[in-house]
Amino acid sequence: MTQVSEGSYIGQNVPRSDGHAKVTGAMVYPSDVIVPGMMYGALLRSPYPHAEILSVDTTEAEKMGAVCLTYKDIEPIKYNERSVSIPAATYRDRTVLPDKARHFGEPLMAVAADTQELAYRAVRAIKVEYKVLPAVFEPEEAMKDGAPQLYDKIYLGDEEVAVHNNIGVIRNISEGDCEAGFAKADRIFQESFELGRIYHNQMETKCAVVKPEPDGSITVWATAQSIHANRQLLGRVLGMPLSRINVIKLPFGGAFGSSIQVNTVTPICAYLALKAGRPVKLVSAREEDFYSHQKYPAKFTVKMGVTNDGLITAAHVTALVDFGAHQVQPLPFLGCTAGWFASLYKYEGNIRFDGTAVYTNKTPCCAMQGYGNPQINFAIESMIDIISNEMGFSPVDLRLKNYRGVGDEFWGQGPTIRSIIKSCGVEQSLVEGRQMTDFDHRERPDTKTGDVRRGLGLARGFHCSGTGGPKEGEVIDYSSALVKINEDGSVDLLTPVTDHGGGTWDALRKICAEVLQVPLDLVGLSPAGTMQIGYDVCTHATRGVYCGGAAVYHVAMKVKEKLLEVAGRLMAEHAYNLEVVRSDGLHQGVVQVKDFPAKSMTIGDIAKQAQNMSWGTIAYTDSYRQRNCPPCFTTHFVEVEVDMRTGVITVPKVLIFGDCGNPMNPDLVKGQLVGSFNRGFGYTVFEQLPTNEATGELANKGLLVDYKTPSAMEMPPIKDVEVILCDTYEPTGPFGAKGIGEAALASVQAAISNAVYNAIGIRFHKLPLTPEAVLAAIREREAQSAGATPS
Amino acid sequence: MSEKVKIRLKVNGEDVTYEVDAHMSLMRALREHYVWDVKCGCEVGECGTCTVLLDGQAVKSCLTLAAACDGHEVWTNKGLGYRDPLTARLQEAFVECGSVQCGFCTPGMIVAGAAYLKHGGKADRAAIKNIISGNLCRCTGYVKIVDAIYLVAKEIEEGRLTA
Ligand code: FES
Ligand code: FES
Repeated sequence: MTQVSEGSYIGQNVPRSDGHAKVTGAMVYPSDVIVPGMMYGALLRSPYPHAEILSVDTTEAEKMGAVCLTYKDIEPIKYNERSVSIPAATYRDRTVLPDKARHFGEPLMAVAADTQELAYRAVRAIKVEYKVLPAVFEPEEAMKDGAPQLYDKIYLGDEEVAVHNNIGVIRNISEGDCEAGFAKADRIFQESFELGRIYHNQMETKCAVVKPEPDGSITVWATAQSIHANRQLLGRVLGMPLSRINVIKLPFGGAFGSSIQVNTVTPICAYLALKAGRPVKLVSAREEDFYSHQKYPAKFTVKMGVTNDGLITAAHVTALVDFGAHQVQPLPFLGCTAGWFASLYKYEGNIRFDGTAVYTNKTPCCAMQGYGNPQINFAIESMIDIISNEMGFSPVDLRLKNYRGVGDEFWGQGPTIRSIIKSCGVEQSLVEGRQMTDFDHRERPDTKTGDVRRGLGLARGFHCSGTGGPKEGEVIDYSSALVKINEDGSVDLLTPVTDHGGGTWDALRKICAEVLQVPLDLVGLSPAGTMQIGYDVCTHATRGVYCGGAAVYHVAMKVKEKLLEVAGRLMAEHAYNLEVVRSDGLHQGVVQVKDFPAKSMTIGDIAKQAQNMSWGTIAYTDSYRQRNCPPCFTTHFVEVEVDMRTGVITVPKVLIFGDCGNPMNPDLVKGQLVGSFNRGFGYTVFEQLPTNEATGELANKGLLVDYKTPSAMEMPPIKDVEVILCDTYEPTGPFGAKGIGEAALASVQAAISNAVYNAIGIRFHKLPLTPEAVLAAIREREAQSAGATPS
Repeated sequence: MSEKVKIRLKVNGEDVTYEVDAHMSLMRALREHYVWDVKCGCEVGECGTCTVLLDGQAVKSCLTLAAACDGHEVWTNKGLGYRDPLTARLQEAFVECGSVQCGFCTPGMIVAGAAYLKHGGKADRAAIKNIISGNLCRCTGYVKIVDAIYLVAKEIEEGRLTA
């Protein structure tokens, strides 16, 4: 798509337009929505990890004035909360409320009452008789014969499928000839890696407000990454025509993937509101939110073959994933994980991936910034570091020799969505980073002494920009937009795309302003609901700017065509002789005769005159689908300090390269990279969610204080966080842009772990690297060397 | 049912009377009276999104009993932004420095920062980090938040702004 004009807003640092509302506290988030006559909801959550509900008595709760909802009140329609994949590639196993509890904290019943407190009291007044069933928490255990079974049957699309040994999904993918590849190698490496569950901890907990309208429709405000996904699921479970469901787009307090699927609370809230005949607000407490969704854990075994001159000839990954009590799409999760693995290096085309995903009596897992990417990246990028150390290669050169770059195939969303890489900042990142950090002269770990040891490590990663491919695959991907020129030259932009804080909405406004050449502040972002605007699959997969922006670009181009046609009529010129330019002096877009700017009209005058002549409004709406999923690349060079006495890891310095194509707003891109580093640091050194297997409860009981996430204290000093944006231009992106969001996290974990290896010479195969884990590893090595050298 | 109490307090410069449950938190009392720039991220003192000034001190309003605030003065980020030039400047600095992403932590963060500056806090990044260490932000990585508070502290030190 075309190059930017001179003086363009694209690439300029413009303060975010929603900034004022956010800093002054004026912004309304879903949890702030208040509707007159509103009731408050509360949930009865399972006190057992696995139990049948034998009987329910809501009499006492109802006497208190509460409206109660149990599985008996709902249609037992089976669904999957995530609707990004096509139905034929979607497993369905859940209903709005179940008659059987499958994990601790699962919502079983709901109430609505006049105050929040009364709602909580009413929940406690519900009497439930359970038959407690044996539970299973580890995937290896769950797969054994005789293990407690979560399901007998589930659905894939419309087909009923039996579940054996709790295995939800098996996905094996193979290309080329792995055996021949391994045979060609001089050395074979095999290692195992493990990453546990973590929690999104988006600062606003999942919530919904549902208001029944006088005409029988409902209005919905919810923490949602896709308004249309929410509408379609509600239509299905409520048996309501979509035309009666308006899900309103709102900013919300952080996503990180936590609301790609329709949140569990939303359909419950809708049922409550319809039963009560009044608006209902249902907000999860933080302790409940921990049980709503978590990041997928994974166990990998990675085998790689390498020749003596550093060519990786084949790779084989096996993956075992425990996804909890419901499927929020482990099928595409495994496909994507295979894709991220396959797309990092060339492996001479010889790859094999064997993935198994298993039900356990734990919280369901969903996407969390990367959808398998940070997990598999940790394994592969640790592996590259191991191979470099063992075979004496430079970690930079080994990567340069084997990475997939321009002209190579990239799997943007598993094996069915592939496109050819057309822009790539990998080489720039590795070569510049090597120089800036003096990487080739890092000291070897065995030369380091002292209580605090410093190390330097590197890892690279990427994510897709959207999920479009030349051919349609398992994943739905298109977006919509409406653009309309007002009679004063200002422009209304309507988009279904959500913005989770990354600045997507400003990027879309910039694209519209650039195409129509109007001043940025004249492009207004209209409120949008599902009743007003066409479909967008979801702001996920790092697709907001690349895919949502492409739809805005496409529609704005159509509006420009109409504008020039109308202007031609008014100016007695052919449309093809006209062009639009921005006049900052007039604070207007201007249509002028090419090479004869003296003959011109402002866009405002054109629109006004078109109105006076009763010609109509200059507007257009359409959908648009990207046919590529270009990778946005990142590379992290991290310096760590490891305290040998305490096992504490700190990061004094980090250098981050980000390749987002042409950046819409460089400062916002850098902000995402820095924020992601912080989350990656938490993932690598602090965060974990152990389960108390006696009760099925999280060991932290859903408390943030016992779930350590990084505070301001853990971040490196500002002068030592350097972010460089690569000098690339994506030819298929709107004005050269691709995404950055999820790529920003992909390689953080491996970079930190590789740096720790360089500091102390100990390889970690399992996250997190807590002080306890680091200290235990140091002690173990000391014990081993004491045993080896008799004193 | 629970006992109700009447409390008189000053919220953002205005005298108000709230009738609240005796055991209700200040955060709930404020939010139920439409002061929703006070956000609820946890309700048990873990996240700092509900930070307000109580008699000039930054407190977590979810851990503060509303009934105990009878006769006291509460300022929230929104009210401070209208009436207090220092906070208004700090709010602007948050936009300038790119310290805002989803914005959910922002009101609490700004109150914590404003309290620091009002009590003579210096342009010292380590001290600023410390003062906001009870306010969680999952989006930004804090770097630019520290930057914004630092910027305003510098302006005060250079005499361009009064605390
Ligand atoms: S809501 Fe008060 S500290 Fe989290
Ligand atoms: S900006 Fe989202 S939590 Fe701080």
